[in-house]
Amino acid sequence: MSAELLALQDVHAYYGNIRALKGVSLTVGRGEIVTLIGGNGAGKTTTLRTVIGLVRALRGTVTFDGRRIDRVPTHRIARLGIAQSPEGRRIFAPMTVLENLELGAFARTDREAIPQDLERVLALFPRLRDRLAQKGGTLSGGEQQMLAMGRALMAKPDMLLLDEPSMGLSPILVETIFDIIRNINQLGTTILLVEQNARMALRVAHRGYVIQTGRIVLQDAAAALLRSDVVRKAYLGEK
Amino acid sequence: MSDFRSVRVIPAALLVTALLGYPFLDRWLQAQTVHAVTDAMIYVLLALGLNIVVGYAGMLDLGYAAFFAIGAYTMGLLNSPVLGSPLYGHVWSFWVVIWIAAAVSAALGVVIGAPTLRVRGDYLAIITLAFGEIIPVAIRNMGDITIDIAGWKPVERLNLTGGENGVNPVGRPHLPFVNFDTDFIPWYFLILVIGAFSLWAMNRMRDSRLGRAWMAIREDETAADCTGVNPVKTKLLAFALGASFSGFAGSFYAAKLQAITPGAFEFNVSIMLLCMVVLGGMGSLKGVILGGMLITLFDRILLSQMTFFIRWVGRSLGIAALASVDLTLWRWFFFGLGLVVIMLIRPEGLMGRRARPPAADVDEGEERLALVAAPPRPRAEALPAWLREAASPGRRPPSGPPVLEVRGLTRSFGGLIAVSDVELVIPAGGIIGLIGPNGAGKTTFFNLVTGLLRPDRGEILLDGASVVGLRPHAIVGRGIARTFQSIRLFQNMSVLDNVLVGEHCRLHASVAGAVFRPPAVMVEEVRARGRATDLLAFVGLDAKAAEMAKNLAYGDQRRLEIARALATEPRLLLLDEPTAGMNPRETDTLTELIGLLRRELGLSVLLIEHHMEVVMGISDRITVLDYGTRIAEGTPVEIRQNAQVIEAYLGKGYEQELVAT
Repeated sequence: MSAELLALQDVHAYYGNIRALKGVSLTVGRGEIVTLIGGNGAGKTTTLRTVIGLVRALRGTVTFDGRRIDRVPTHRIARLGIAQSPEGRRIFAPMTVLENLELGAFARTDREAIPQDLERVLALFPRLRDRLAQKGGTLSGGEQQMLAMGRALMAKPDMLLLDEPSMGLSPILVETIFDIIRNINQLGTTILLVEQNARMALRVAHRGYVIQTGRIVLQDAAAALLRSDVVRKAYLGEK
Repeated sequence: MSDFRSVRVIPAALLVTALLGYPFLDRWLQAQTVHAVTDAMIYVLLALGLNIVVGYAGMLDLGYAAFFAIGAYTMGLLNSPVLGSPLYGHVWSFWVVIWIAAAVSAALGVVIGAPTLRVRGDYLAIITLAFGEIIPVAIRNMGDITIDIAGWKPVERLNLTGGENGVNPVGRPHLPFVNFDTDFIPWYFLILVIGAFSLWAMNRMRDSRLGRAWMAIREDETAADCTGVNPVKTKLLAFALGASFSGFAGSFYAAKLQAITPGAFEFNVSIMLLCMVVLGGMGSLKGVILGGMLITLFDRILLSQMTFFIRWVGRSLGIAALASVDLTLWRWFFFGLGLVVIMLIRPEGLMGRRARPPAADVDEGEERLALVAAPPRPRAEALPAWLREAASPGRRPPSGPPVLEVRGLTRSFGGLIAVSDVELVIPAGGIIGLIGPNGAGKTTFFNLVTGLLRPDRGEILLDGASVVGLRPHAIVGRGIARTFQSIRLFQNMSVLDNVLVGEHCRLHASVAGAVFRPPAVMVEEVRARGRATDLLAFVGLDAKAAEMAKNLAYGDQRRLEIARALATEPRLLLLDEPTAGMNPRETDTLTELIGLLRRELGLSVLLIEHHMEVVMGISDRITVLDYGTRIAEGTPVEIRQNAQVIEAYLGKGYEQELVAT
């Protein structure tokens, strides 16, 4: 068992016709929350998609738990214990909220623990409990966001990739969502977090990377990045 | 107009020479392929018509052969000397009937189109499939009609269509000095002329207001509706125009073959036509021509030649199995196999749009990413002059009557009340914030105001006039434009075309205008393009005008959606979480942009937003919804201090408590 759960080494990848990643290297240690911040189009989402295998690395390696996964099919990666959320809110619209959540646990072998985890997810998102019998597609944008995250948690992953979990959520829920992130991390899930809300992300994370036009330009402890002039100007909106 | 394809002179001249010289070369070589090539061109013309419905408007039509039958039978019924129908003895000229056939097909296109308007995808396919089955059956059974009402027979043994035997013979066209009787070359030139004319018309339609509307419907019907495109009219036009070309093809087919039977218009013809479109590339005129030619010529020439060859080999080598082979019986096998292979290698078809535009190289990509990192600040000087002019009549003092007045608005889904008795007033030039917890009914409220949903109760008054019950595109026409929470651009259209669709409801070009391009239409189109370019420059996207919308970075897509909404010349702009997913700098820029639009254009804005620094910063007043009801209304300062709002939404001071749950 290595200390590094996830490692990207010199990863190059295209997104459409854009060379979105130009040699990205980063590591996420077991039990860590690591955040990746950067502008739109900098390559944050492409990085996540490369980990999960939806975008293939042209060069470089992706290792998870000591094992190369850059040529492993996406569904097998998911079974290795990596879950992604919200994936652009890709919920199953014609299925009920409950069915969506149950599908999150599809690949699990510890079936008896599932009801307990469902209860935990519903405690985290009480709004979903009100909507259990409703079709996923009839939820509001923010509720779909919660559902996507709840579904990812139902997989009980070793590693959770979060793509802008606070997007479209009310201020009160943004606070809540970052508490949830801290909470599930303390319960043992390693997290790689991509966020536009860099301030919140850096507050909750242990370490952070700054990505610009497909390259990592800065990496440090999250607290140090919060104090860095570059980050404050470019990503925290301070003048 | 720069975008209208400039014809490269030399290849075009070579092509014309080849097309004109081919039948004579064929005769000289005694290859005898003109007959088959002419037939192939009929199917190409049919495939081109189908392409309007499937490729442009994105509606899967599995019964297109029905229109082919209608075209052919129109010719057969009006131009046959022997049929025992009431039309017997009145033989009309080919040159007249071919136009009638196109008109009849177009009319039936509208008839079949009408019930399919509310359905898409699978359902539409099934309905067209049924229509494709009904027509040949009806033709078969209308050869012998007897109406017997208790012994009284007003109609006895009436033969309308020739039944199973079909119509035979069908009259030929007549032209002085041209021999249509024994020579295939005049037929070849006739279909060449019809085809060239059709292609010219289709090409012009595609690059027009109408063509853009079709593609917008194909890409996202709801977004098109909310951008001012009338989906009903647009889809019916696709059906009617698509069908009219099969009217030409069908009547030509009937006259050339001089006999028609219902068996020639069965389901497999529809499928073959669809194969041609898919194989060549949906939406690509060149591709459809290539696909049609390949499939028919393979069928008509290659399969039979190969059969002869293999039989010859079989006889020479004394292998009985080979000597009696008939490959033409295997045609569907080869079609299927070929289609599977093409779809695996090139799913977009032989000449379809490539999934990735080939032009952009790495350097361009880097530049694009750099631009994304620093969105341009909106400048008042860059605001298009035409937009100012369009806005000036609507610009009234803030004390004047409100732009939008919503009273008692209520809507429920099943037992769930999504919006309950909501009041909202937007004064002229006002920016009103609409906030509330996720699922509070904010987007439903937008959908009610824009006509996507009908309220159960309540009033929606735009400038004092009710818009309740109007379709979304009509409401856009009245002056309400919107953006969507999850961006809904026309993904496979260019950035410029996206904005041009926005102008749709302010343009007037008709079908005839699109094809013949009279000066008024040309002037309008040039002006529309100028306006769209100005708007793109204003939001900082002018350098990407030719890019496909789906290739834009997220922030750029948000700005394009706003540009598209502005192109409809709105008086009221509804923005649904415009800064979601944006970083603080992009958020700042967009906030400035909204403020600028109000300041310079007097535009009123209703804003759903979760970024409090945005809402609190630019809203004059804020309305708060929770569980579909208005729980608060007031200035930003009042809202910030409202205990109920803090508890339900803002959460200040309550975070710790929530963590515990």
